[in-house]
Amino acid sequence: MSLGGESLTEFERNARVVLEESVRRIDARTRSRLNQARHAALAASGRRRAWWSSFTLMPAAGAIAAALLVAVVLWHREPAGTQPLALDGQHPAVEDMELLTDNDSIDLIEGWDGSFYEWAAAQSDAGAESNS
Amino acid sequence: MPAALHGDVDLTDPEEQTQTRALNQFLAGVELKAFKIAQAALRHEDDALDAVQDAMLQLARAYAKRPPEEWKPLFYRILENRVRDMQRRRTVRGRVMAWLPLRGEDDDEDSDPVAQAPSLEPQPVRRLELDEAVGALEKALERLPPRQRQAFLLRTLEGCDVAETALAMGCSEGSVKTHYFRAVQALRAQLGELYL
Repeated sequence: MSLGGESLTEFERNARVVLEESVRRIDARTRSRLNQARHAALAASGRRRAWWSSFTLMPAAGAIAAALLVAVVLWHREPAGTQPLALDGQHPAVEDMELLTDNDSIDLIEGWDGSFYEWAAAQSDAGAESNS
Repeated sequence: MPAALHGDVDLTDPEEQTQTRALNQFLAGVELKAFKIAQAALRHEDDALDAVQDAMLQLARAYAKRPPEEWKPLFYRILENRVRDMQRRRTVRGRVMAWLPLRGEDDDEDSDPVAQAPSLEPQPVRRLELDEAVGALEKALERLPPRQRQAFLLRTLEGCDVAETALAMGCSEGSVKTHYFRAVQALRAQLGELYL
């Protein structure tokens, strides 16, 4: 008899015999409970695997979710006609940048003359009415 | 026709079947020895059963996919951790209980003599000798330091080699050899040569 490839002394051989005897004497109640515990562990292992196995459907679920997302985005997108028109073929953002950086525009805002613009609007309305 | 199920496992999958069968075989092979090892450390039957059950569950849940040759050291490592947790909890509980009034320890013990009867009886002639030897060895094991007892039981009872024992105990192979050597020396000093 050996212990992991090493030869055993007589004491170790006897100790093993005694220990194995103590295992043989484990009562039926304890054996039954250990048996139940083993089956519970195997069932738990199965539940875990079954749970993980649901991830095999993940690619299909992901594709469906992505398609739905694209559909929702397209559905809620504003029509092209409502976009602000660019002047002289320029992009609106570029135009805004020019307004913000233009010193003249800032001067105009600083020298805001409300009465002039009100008068100009009234003239414009009067002109439109006389034309019609 | 419905698929054959074990828990929630589809046993029609041959790979799952093979793994479940191998795990069942492994656990069936170690459960009794594991119980004795846990019982030697905890000195309480129900606690030892709980520890073994927890170790089985954790192995099955977390390591069932690992190669079967790794299961034994992993299982005993988990069991050892569980035993330590229970010992720590018991120490804390003992401190708390010291402040509470005394009560019976075995209130919930099942005392069914039929259920607790030994399952396999040895030959009558040999029985007395074995009774004495088992009792003496168990008492001597209780007196060993925990690491020495663990090394001795894993190597002698479970048959783990030095590498497996080191993995299960979370120490070096050199430490295993030292613990084991000291355990044998201490037991021999207490028991003589354990002649049977």
